[in-house]
Amino acid sequence: MRIGVFVCHCGSNIAGTVDVERVAREALKLPGVVFSDTNKYTCSAPGQESVCSAIKENALDRVVIASCSPRMHEATFRKMIAEKTDLNPYMLEIANIREQCSWVHKDREQGTRKACDLVAMAVAKVSCDRELFTTNLPVERRALVIGGGIAGIQAALDIADAGFPVTLVERESSIGGKMVMLDKTFPTMDCSACICTPKMSEAAENPNIEIKSLTEVESVSGYIGSFDVTLREKAKYVDYDVCTGCGLCETKCPTKKIPSEFNQGLSTRTAIYKPFPQAVPSKPTIDAEHCKKLQSGKCGVCEKVCPTGAIRYDDVDRVTTQRYGAIVVASGYELIDWTGLYGEYGAGRYPDVITGLQFERIVNASGPTEGHILRPSDRTEPKTTVIVKCVGSRDPNKGVSYCSRACCMYAAKHAHQYLDKVPDGTCYVFYMDVRCAGKGYDEFYMRTLQDGAIYVRGRVSKIYPEGDGLVCMGEDTLSGEIVRVKADMVVLETAMVPSRGSDVLASKLNVQRGPEGFFTEAHPKLRPVETNTAGVYLAGVAQGPKDIPDTVAQAGAVASKVIGLFARGQIESNPMLSKVDVSRCSGCRACVDVCPYGALGLVQANLRENSRKVTRTVCQVNEGLCQGCGACSVACRSGALDLLGFSDEGIMQEVEMLCQ
Amino acid sequence: MTANLTQQIRDRARDLLQSGTVSCFIAWEPARFEHWRTPVTIESPDEVDRIVVDEWCDQLIAKYALQRRGDGRIGMVARGCESRAVERLVADRQVSRQDVYLVGVGCTGMLDRDGGAPLKKCEECQRRNPVTYDEMVGETVEEPRPYRFGEVDRIESMEPEQRRAFFDRMFSQCAMCFACRNVCPACNCRSCFADAERVGWLEKDFGLDASRYWGLMRAFHTGDRCIECGECERACPMGLPLMTLMHKQVRDIDRLFGPYEGGGLSDAGPDPLRSYRTDDVEEFM
Ligand SMILES: Cc1cc2nc3c(=O)[nH]c(=O)nc-3n(C[C@H](O)[C@H](O)[C@H](O)COP(=O)(O)OP(=O)(O)OC[C@H]3O[C@@H](n4cnc5c(N)ncnc54)[C@H](O)[C@@H]3O)c2cc1C
Ligand code: SF4
Repeated sequence: MRIGVFVCHCGSNIAGTVDVERVAREALKLPGVVFSDTNKYTCSAPGQESVCSAIKENALDRVVIASCSPRMHEATFRKMIAEKTDLNPYMLEIANIREQCSWVHKDREQGTRKACDLVAMAVAKVSCDRELFTTNLPVERRALVIGGGIAGIQAALDIADAGFPVTLVERESSIGGKMVMLDKTFPTMDCSACICTPKMSEAAENPNIEIKSLTEVESVSGYIGSFDVTLREKAKYVDYDVCTGCGLCETKCPTKKIPSEFNQGLSTRTAIYKPFPQAVPSKPTIDAEHCKKLQSGKCGVCEKVCPTGAIRYDDVDRVTTQRYGAIVVASGYELIDWTGLYGEYGAGRYPDVITGLQFERIVNASGPTEGHILRPSDRTEPKTTVIVKCVGSRDPNKGVSYCSRACCMYAAKHAHQYLDKVPDGTCYVFYMDVRCAGKGYDEFYMRTLQDGAIYVRGRVSKIYPEGDGLVCMGEDTLSGEIVRVKADMVVLETAMVPSRGSDVLASKLNVQRGPEGFFTEAHPKLRPVETNTAGVYLAGVAQGPKDIPDTVAQAGAVASKVIGLFARGQIESNPMLSKVDVSRCSGCRACVDVCPYGALGLVQANLRENSRKVTRTVCQVNEGLCQGCGACSVACRSGALDLLGFSDEGIMQEVEMLCQ
Repeated sequence: MTANLTQQIRDRARDLLQSGTVSCFIAWEPARFEHWRTPVTIESPDEVDRIVVDEWCDQLIAKYALQRRGDGRIGMVARGCESRAVERLVADRQVSRQDVYLVGVGCTGMLDRDGGAPLKKCEECQRRNPVTYDEMVGETVEEPRPYRFGEVDRIESMEPEQRRAFFDRMFSQCAMCFACRNVCPACNCRSCFADAERVGWLEKDFGLDASRYWGLMRAFHTGDRCIECGECERACPMGLPLMTLMHKQVRDIDRLFGPYEGGGLSDAGPDPLRSYRTDDVEEFM
């Protein structure tokens, strides 16, 4: 064994606290070490050059580099060894003497001694290292985007524009998500539909994008580059190849009293319907639950009036399977169901206590009131409106503990819109804080104050009816007084929560969710759109509350990751994977249950044991799915599973060395 | 246990062997001294008269099923503890339930071969009747479900130094004979970490460090799967109170993850300490 040790000064970062020359001298005394040296900056070009030539001149077969965290430069040094020497790049160990030593110690003697120990441990581990080899896995250049809100639409457009096919899956009958329901968007107050619907039709017309509405992911198997995804497209009862979207059926359908989801229950729709005029796909579907023909066999009006004969009452769900190289999760959010949580706000009993999303519909020119601000109960113009912020948000006792981020701004927007349309009206905004960090955001809030909105700092503790109005009671925490505001309408700016079914989706995709239920990114700062499952990416509110600019930016970032993956066309496998020693495996299944990536399974294996042929159940690692997390190697009681590159033996040797 | 139980079991064993329902039948037979019993595997109907089933059958026989894997269906007398051990082996995928034929008996506790006092493990027993069986011989018995955490309470109330001293004293007497492992129905690995020489988890020398490490690792490896049969404690030649650690874990797991009984007893999914769930709240990450 010929081990070389290279100790880095990192300028004064390490050398300031650690006597690197002494560390290099001490290293020479360790078993197997035949060469040691120091470098000013090992990662620099001359530093790398000197390491490589030392490897060649001294015929080194293992290398320890004592420098910064392996997170920083392990990949750099691996690449260097692979490209510039004949050594296997996995015969390398990094001793972290910067983050874990020089940066946290002041005393030079102590720091130097600890650095010597860390180097000794790395030497012990490198002695157990074995050559590892990567393989290239092919990548199916086709992306699946789950969720057709603005996040999903933007990601799909960006990927498709780079020339790769995309399937955009939306479980409602139209794409658009929450954004198409909004009236205007802060801070520029451009009409939401005017900027969202062109994107929707762009997606519909893009030859690289296939939109599947009323569709959900049924199951997912496989790994980055080749996910096999089964989709269930619900019966639409309308043949989209024949339907021209003329809309005659909608006008004739006798079932007209169904609350419109799009208008948040403030208007009604028919059983055969398009949720809104600009829907994409621009064709109707039958809501089977309410359709008379499908429920009781009587009616069939739409079939009679349809000029192209597109109605199919016998339509069934379609299940298809397709291979994708990458998956984008853009499943967005719902608003928290405040009625179950806030009894003191009437729990939904007072019709004039509405949500922000209902307000968006009321203020919208194509909404249920044609843009006139009329309250739901008696369709009169509210002269006093109270806006309550943080309903459900930042309220760990009743709702969620996090801030929903967009509501401070859209509350200001709502106040502005109300005062604009009801010039003689009064608008109170109850708030906990005003959080308006963003380009042009604080200016927008200031303008709302100038519009005359009255901001009261405090939570509303009770809303009760009085006469034909409502009284909002709360404490103004700045003056300490209890305030009672007689209002004609109350708007609750409710918390964003993960969209329903996120838990099921997470387990199908094997991705993690945080305590609040939003999908977890691989690293909050450095890998914000990746998940811990390679090949699965996050965009929009699915990852956490955010507004449209942030959502679109994130969708673009996701697209660039996916395009990068597809452009490469293949991925190098990580060889630091779990490996099973079947002779020790008793097939107990502990590893299968504990693996977060579904990478382990049980198989029947034909083995030779004690010169006998036996067939036993043993575990098997799927190398495409394994991420090398090591959970299985810990769960395995008999140590049948080991993590290549982090073998039990190597770790044990490190500990042994430290204890000497 | 009724006086004619032995005869009833012999009759059933004979029938089962004769009809070919089972290929062998595991029970007990008298050993060298009075009140000593030893496990026996009966291979033919002519040998069934060797069987005795009485209040001196102190060993758990379920684990012997592992030695007969692949040899056809295995017959066995099953008290509460045997039945739970079989469930354990099934959950650990070492046998399938169809591979064993359980002749269930209700059990009122066994006596110590030296002196005749009731065995501690039987006094703490939570399941005197089999939890699974293919047929029952005799009546089921009452389940008193005694409180079994008294010793855990006592140790928990100690000061940390006292507690450390207690366990140091316990482990310093360990002879590292691995009898606890060999009898344990949850210890069914093909190869034990303690024998992994190359990695060297466990030193081969004696000493408090090694025996403490062995004791704790054994407890952890079986913690969420312990069926509380108390065999480790009974088999320990040094008389160490091994069940205290097991009971402590049983109760902690119960409190942290909900009602729990030695794994394997419910179909609720994998054992609590070896599962991965996406709805696990990862507050620490
Ligand atoms: C009242 C209100 C006003 C707002 N005003 C503004 C504003 O003025 N300016 C601004 O910047 N932001 C505003 N926002 C925030 C804005 O709505 C969000 O930032 C944006 O809509 C997030 O888009 P998204 O695509 O991530 O999520 P969504 O719009 O929720 O889209 C998610 C889509 O995925 C679909 N989906 C979910 N799960 C699945 C599944 N399992 N399978 C298939 N499809 C699925 C859903 O049906 C939905 O269509 C406002 C929010 C509210 C509540
Ligand atoms: S964005 Fe403003 S209103 Fe919304 S939760 Fe955060 S602080 Fe409350």
